[in-house]
Amino acid sequence: MDRNDSFREFVALYQQSLMRTAYLLTGDPHLAEDLLQSVLLKVLGRWPKLAHVANPQAYARKALVNHYISWRRRPARAELPSSEPPKGSYSSEESTVARLAMRQALARLPPRQRAVIVLRYYEDLTEHETAKLLNCSIGTVKSQAHHALARLRECAPELAPRSEEMEELKGTRR
Amino acid sequence: MTWLRNALDDLAGEAPRVDLAERTIRTHERRRRRMLSVLAPVPIAAVALAVTATVRLLPAQPPPAAESGAVRDLPASGVGPLSHAYMTFCRPEKGKPPAGCVDGGWRVVTHGGATYRVAQALRGSTFGLRETPFAIAGDGRKIAYYDAKAGTFAVRDLASGTVLTAPTKVPKAWLGSIAHLLLSDDGRFLAFSKMPRLKDPAMLFDLREGMVRPLPNGWNPIGLSPGGDTITLAQYAPKTRFQTISHLWQTSTASNEKTIDVTGTYLPGALRPDGETAVAVKSGKTPGSVCPRTSPDLVHLDPQTGKVLRRVPFQGLSTKGNVVYLRSWTGPQEITAIVSPIACKEADVNAASVQSSYAPFTAYAVNVKTGKARKLTTYSAQSPFYLVLPGFPATL
Repeated sequence: MDRNDSFREFVALYQQSLMRTAYLLTGDPHLAEDLLQSVLLKVLGRWPKLAHVANPQAYARKALVNHYISWRRRPARAELPSSEPPKGSYSSEESTVARLAMRQALARLPPRQRAVIVLRYYEDLTEHETAKLLNCSIGTVKSQAHHALARLRECAPELAPRSEEMEELKGTRR
Repeated sequence: MTWLRNALDDLAGEAPRVDLAERTIRTHERRRRRMLSVLAPVPIAAVALAVTATVRLLPAQPPPAAESGAVRDLPASGVGPLSHAYMTFCRPEKGKPPAGCVDGGWRVVTHGGATYRVAQALRGSTFGLRETPFAIAGDGRKIAYYDAKAGTFAVRDLASGTVLTAPTKVPKAWLGSIAHLLLSDDGRFLAFSKMPRLKDPAMLFDLREGMVRPLPNGWNPIGLSPGGDTITLAQYAPKTRFQTISHLWQTSTASNEKTIDVTGTYLPGALRPDGETAVAVKSGKTPGSVCPRTSPDLVHLDPQTGKVLRRVPFQGLSTKGNVVYLRSWTGPQEITAIVSPIACKEADVNAASVQSSYAPFTAYAVNVKTGKARKLTTYSAQSPFYLVLPGFPATL
């Protein structure tokens, strides 16, 4: 088995979950693909070393998030929300409306806040794990999550829970 | 699951399916060639420097392959009963790799102490990207493995050398990243399941009759009735559950199944051959840490109701600083427990720079009524996944 074979296996196993994270981070399928492609190139460049570590997908995930944040620091790459989501919900189309609302609300978050939301509430990482992955303190993760959740409530009130649920959410997985 | 998690899950479902492996490899090769072509016209001295640098940057070559002759390949027949099998990996962080090491290769060890390499078994990735499951029948006289040439599972009788292969092909991609095999004592039935819960099915093979029965995926087979008619499966995460499927070969539907939730998080061992008794250890995390810990009791569970029947404290086996994994039964009242020191570092959880070493796994026979443990022997393996003992497998 040459090194490309083991890399192919790695990609086959993890590319879709990495792609989903990339999509949540960028909000655009083409940007997500570009982001993941860049990260996989980086991973392939280091594959001889990574192939023998316990958790290469952790490296890939960390590279993905950090690459996304550094991408977003570039002024030219702005993601602009398009039209507003439909007001109210059409019973059978509720999930579509919710997706649109969530995508637009996420697009209004600064990159670090968006990364915190994705890592904490999609990847289900703890505050400690999120802080390690983003190379920041737990306090920073807490404040970024607080601001991001407040912003999400503001941007997508139809998705946000009632206030007591919000309190419960804040209290979980510290 | 929170509203936010639901909304993010829903949105993530919109991500397009991609296949980036070949494109990434092609791009990487193109960039590498371009870099070399840029280097070509520079003066000789610079070329010499560049070549030196390039050589230094080249990936470390894999360690020398097996020193042929250090460990013999499994003979075609005439091999005695096995005590265990283990997967070799050749870059331990500490200590030396075993002589004749082959990365991801399976070795079997007989009760007489002879060690053989099972070259027929698909080699695994010792970093967890491809699992190559391996099983030993309860009497140690038969083994089951994935035969790369056959493209499916095979069961070999070690004494006679007879090999039976599964009646259907199982693509390598179906092996997932954590795979489990259960081999019946007579070598007739072989159950296979894996994680992650991919769409392709788990399976139960009847190798004698050449029949296949699909099984639910994402479960660990822990017990099979003597006639292969009832299988017991267990899950330990995200919660502990048992599933019993009966009349396996009489119906073509999955209607004879019963799933039971257990309150609490346990790691069940193999089901006792009577099919009615399950014991487990309670697993968790060390307070304030992400490292695993095992509670100091053996827990009796009822696989039919999910109830905790009783707890028996271990005697002669310390769970302090150790992780305990239960395996198969060595007698009507004794189950094998393997005990390994906790080697967890906080950094291990996220860091990608971990290189494992071989760890000691001490086997005990534990009396399930009294909790008394009797030390059997100590094995060396990279992880509990890569140490296989005779008998039905457990969840871990």
